[in-house]
Amino acid sequence: MTLFFQQWYGELLKLFARRRTYIGFGAFIALEILILLLIKKFGMGPIQKAIVGSGQSFEYYFSALTVASTIMGFAIFLLGALFLTLVAGDIVAKEGEDGHMRLLLARPVSRFRLLLLKYLTCSAYAFFLVQFFAWTSFLLGLILRGWGGGYFAIVPEVSVVAFYDWGPGLQRYALSSLYLGLSMTAVSSIAFFLSCFRIKPAAATIGALTYILVDFIMRNSGFMDNYQHLLVTKHMAVWGRILAENIDWPLIWRGYAVIFAVNVTLFTLGYAVFESRDLKS
Amino acid sequence: MALLEVRHLTKRWPTGRLALDDVGFEVREGEILGLLGHNGAGKSTIMGITLGMVRPDIGEVRIGGRSVQQNRGAALQQIGAIYEAAVFYDYLSGWQNLRVLCSLSGWWDEAEVKRVVQMVNLGRAIEQKTATYSHGMRQRLALAQALLPQPKILLLDEPTDGLDPEGIREFRELILHLRKHHGMTIMLNSHLLGEVEQMCDRCVILKDGKKVFEGPVPSQEKSRRIFQLDTNDIGLAREVLDRCGATMDKHGIVEVPLNMEPHELVTALVNGKVQVNTWQAHRRTLEDLYMGLSSKS
Repeated sequence: MTLFFQQWYGELLKLFARRRTYIGFGAFIALEILILLLIKKFGMGPIQKAIVGSGQSFEYYFSALTVASTIMGFAIFLLGALFLTLVAGDIVAKEGEDGHMRLLLARPVSRFRLLLLKYLTCSAYAFFLVQFFAWTSFLLGLILRGWGGGYFAIVPEVSVVAFYDWGPGLQRYALSSLYLGLSMTAVSSIAFFLSCFRIKPAAATIGALTYILVDFIMRNSGFMDNYQHLLVTKHMAVWGRILAENIDWPLIWRGYAVIFAVNVTLFTLGYAVFESRDLKS
Repeated sequence: MALLEVRHLTKRWPTGRLALDDVGFEVREGEILGLLGHNGAGKSTIMGITLGMVRPDIGEVRIGGRSVQQNRGAALQQIGAIYEAAVFYDYLSGWQNLRVLCSLSGWWDEAEVKRVVQMVNLGRAIEQKTATYSHGMRQRLALAQALLPQPKILLLDEPTDGLDPEGIREFRELILHLRKHHGMTIMLNSHLLGEVEQMCDRCVILKDGKKVFEGPVPSQEKSRRIFQLDTNDIGLAREVLDRCGATMDKHGIVEVPLNMEPHELVTALVNGKVQVNTWQAHRRTLEDLYMGLSSKS
């Protein structure tokens, strides 16, 4: 087990030594600041209407948590997906293209183990990136609104609207960001799977982004209402149920079981593709 | 004893091209074997199969008795390799690159790594990012990673490719040092005949995926006695030589039969009224052998 962690450390070292890894962090901070400035200038708009329309005090619920949640809602899906696919699409294809894979596999390490290390690395990156998004959004919310107040949680994808006081709200926000991190591993799994083919890293990234976007559009188009269970983004949205006043744990576990199955399937298929490849320039 | 056995390797690429056609040979403990051939002859494919990166259609490679195709992990424990270009993670230092690679072998011994880094003459550059390395430094780092952790066999795929003459000489001396002082067994893949001639004990020559020669490198041959005869009486000389059991090619290269001494053959020529202008020892080079095999269809 120690050896496995040493090897994983090597993968993480490679990932976090690259400037490209940090583009996602930088871009997200820039977007967070932009959204924050827009909120400051134009107010919360529809959020304000929803709070007031529910008979609640906007001043109380216009808090750091609500601001953070709004920023997250705007940015996480598209921007997060972009940077996750960028990293996961690179992780095998780029090393194959550059010849690093031949350097690594001249060692007595199996292809399965090597891929597992890489898969865990991009999954950890997905999780960590979401946590970074969540807590930097919260930090910016604190700068704007300070500590305290309520938390107005709204996730239209799963029809959740809830009001919390600061303490319970903070707990829910923290818990939902953890589950959102798990959901986003499905995005990196798709890119990772494509990355296992003998293709350009950019092709893996574009392929994964396209899949996610098509899936998302299909889910919202109305044509797939009877087939929602086939869409990955439908299951990914299950994190939002953490914010419901009464958490439906069986439904949440079912959603994560599907995401887990999708991840395992994509990893297995990616491994099968990679295992069958001859690694030679 | 054979440390590495290549058995009946056959490989056809998906394009239909036959890369290897029933190639087999062995690398004996402590020897340096050169793998020679034109571009596309199958040298790197053999290296790839030996490292388990390319799958043969037929055949297998055994290292220390263990099949790479059946038990790759155990077989590769004994091997260090430079396979194709020496590419490293440019955003990591040389030291970090070694750390990442050694972790995949489940091994790290800082003192031993420092010793090898000194041996390949990388010194303080090991702390720098490999993006700043020259080609020669990359090759030295490639050799360092191949030597960690203490393999029994080294596989070197075009190790001096792109090096300047000083770099080639330094690399060659290092390889010979490894064999002499560490008893390293080495399989070297190259298309540089001079390099193979100076370093290798034996060589295998490939042509279009087939083995066309396996044997001692000509310059290492001690048993053969080959001379160059200069005479105006070619026809007469050939008759005398035929009677003595010797052979002569069109360039006047004479191979003395084992049952005769060279001076006895000269005496026979003179007694046979052949005008011998010059008679001098001829050293057959690897180039002679290689070109001879290449010219055969």
